[in-house]
Amino acid sequence: MSNVLTDLSDTLANTVAAAGAGVVRVEGRRRIPATGIVWSADGLIVTAHHVVSRDENIQIGLPDGRSVNAELVGRDPATDTAVLRAEADGLTPFTESNKQELGVGNLVLALGRPGKTVQATLGIVSALGDGWRTRLGGQVDRYLQTDVVMYPGFSGGPLVDAHGRLAGMNTSALMGGVSLAIPTATLARVADALARDGRMKRGFLGVSTQRVKLPDDLREQLAQKSGLLIVSTESGSPASAAGLTLGDTIVTLDNEKVRDHDDLLALLTGDRVGTAVPVGIVRGGQVQQVQVTIGERA
Amino acid sequence: MLPDTFNEQMTAVIQQVRRSLVQLTNGQMGSGAGTIWHADGLILTNAHVVQRHAPQVVLADGRAFSSRLLATDETLDLAALAIEAHDLPTVELGSSRSLRAGDWVIAVGHPWGVVGVASAGTVIDVGVPVELPRYPGDLIQVGLQLRPGHSGGPMVDGNGRLVGINTMIAGPQVGLAIPLHTVKQFLRDRLGHANKN
Repeated sequence: MSNVLTDLSDTLANTVAAAGAGVVRVEGRRRIPATGIVWSADGLIVTAHHVVSRDENIQIGLPDGRSVNAELVGRDPATDTAVLRAEADGLTPFTESNKQELGVGNLVLALGRPGKTVQATLGIVSALGDGWRTRLGGQVDRYLQTDVVMYPGFSGGPLVDAHGRLAGMNTSALMGGVSLAIPTATLARVADALARDGRMKRGFLGVSTQRVKLPDDLREQLAQKSGLLIVSTESGSPASAAGLTLGDTIVTLDNEKVRDHDDLLALLTGDRVGTAVPVGIVRGGQVQQVQVTIGERA
Repeated sequence: MLPDTFNEQMTAVIQQVRRSLVQLTNGQMGSGAGTIWHADGLILTNAHVVQRHAPQVVLADGRAFSSRLLATDETLDLAALAIEAHDLPTVELGSSRSLRAGDWVIAVGHPWGVVGVASAGTVIDVGVPVELPRYPGDLIQVGLQLRPGHSGGPMVDGNGRLVGINTMIAGPQVGLAIPLHTVKQFLRDRLGHANKN
């Protein structure tokens, strides 16, 4: 009879050892270093925004033991993601996990390298869900919660499946100590934008609004129950330039429904910055469209 | 799929290692654990469990013995006791130096006084924990829950071979064990040998 326990032990330890080639130490804060994910062979490192407290003098500890300098490419606090460029090449990036394969109950490993060696904690996928929006308005492609122990210095490190494929980046900062992972798809989107622009563009209208119920006739006409009543507009903002004013109720943006603040935030994406889009408003009881050129949030 | 033999082998390893797990009591509330090292009555435990007083040792079969304190090292948190007994079931020795992150290990002890409790988890790292830099050696850091009463009990690998002595915690979900190589060094330094038989 083969020993299942030692087989399991060897399998997990081999997975950790192999995946460890893509796990680096990130020294960008006081006290305990954190962990980063090798994103490209030529030195791009993805890590957690909250573990990089300084913008300069960042060091990366490579799997081969070398320590190299890195510069901050950009950060997106809304998804707790930062991208660094290490002065190194020939690194070993991860192969991506097949998103369809990961299910609730699957074994996963959190990897960390706050010191010289790669460390690991084992857990399962606790919950999977639809895309969600963080408290700071970051769009995350899906909800991925695990029960891996976030050992000191594990934030910014990879969550891998039992084959060592990247499923996401672990962070304990987005939701009060719950072990959440930012899925690979979100990391890819944010990392691409940060590498290209150095920042995440976010759209900007320049209005303060309050959610209001729509009158019955408009509910039927628009097939939605609520909209956003403009209570003030910032002078010089895209909204005031387009003539939006106090008392208008926003009901659509770029032909998508605006029922509440979350809808509006979700529609003010970076790719709409600088483009003119139709904004549907209720003014004097009538629905009309106003062209608004979306600005960029500072 | 996890084979059925997983459960059978877990049960077998736990039953085996429980035979070498003892209770240490001092007649007061609470009890610690100990690990039978030598068939002729050498028991290993933590220094913080004995606290300079030789405790009573209760074997898995229920026999109770008074003990003699042979050696203690409060810095390493290790102690060796002797009881007048022979043919005791010892636990086979594994290799703490070959443990790797991800390895499966099992700890037994008496958390909160419940006798012979087993828990299992994977090795996080073997080394000096970032948050416990004062311990003068390596510690096996494991993602499993140790509680008061686990201290001094054995931690074994998937073959049921001893790799460490359960000693302390680093947060509620991480247990720390003194690796076997430190235990052997302690016995060599203090008793002149680390012979098991």
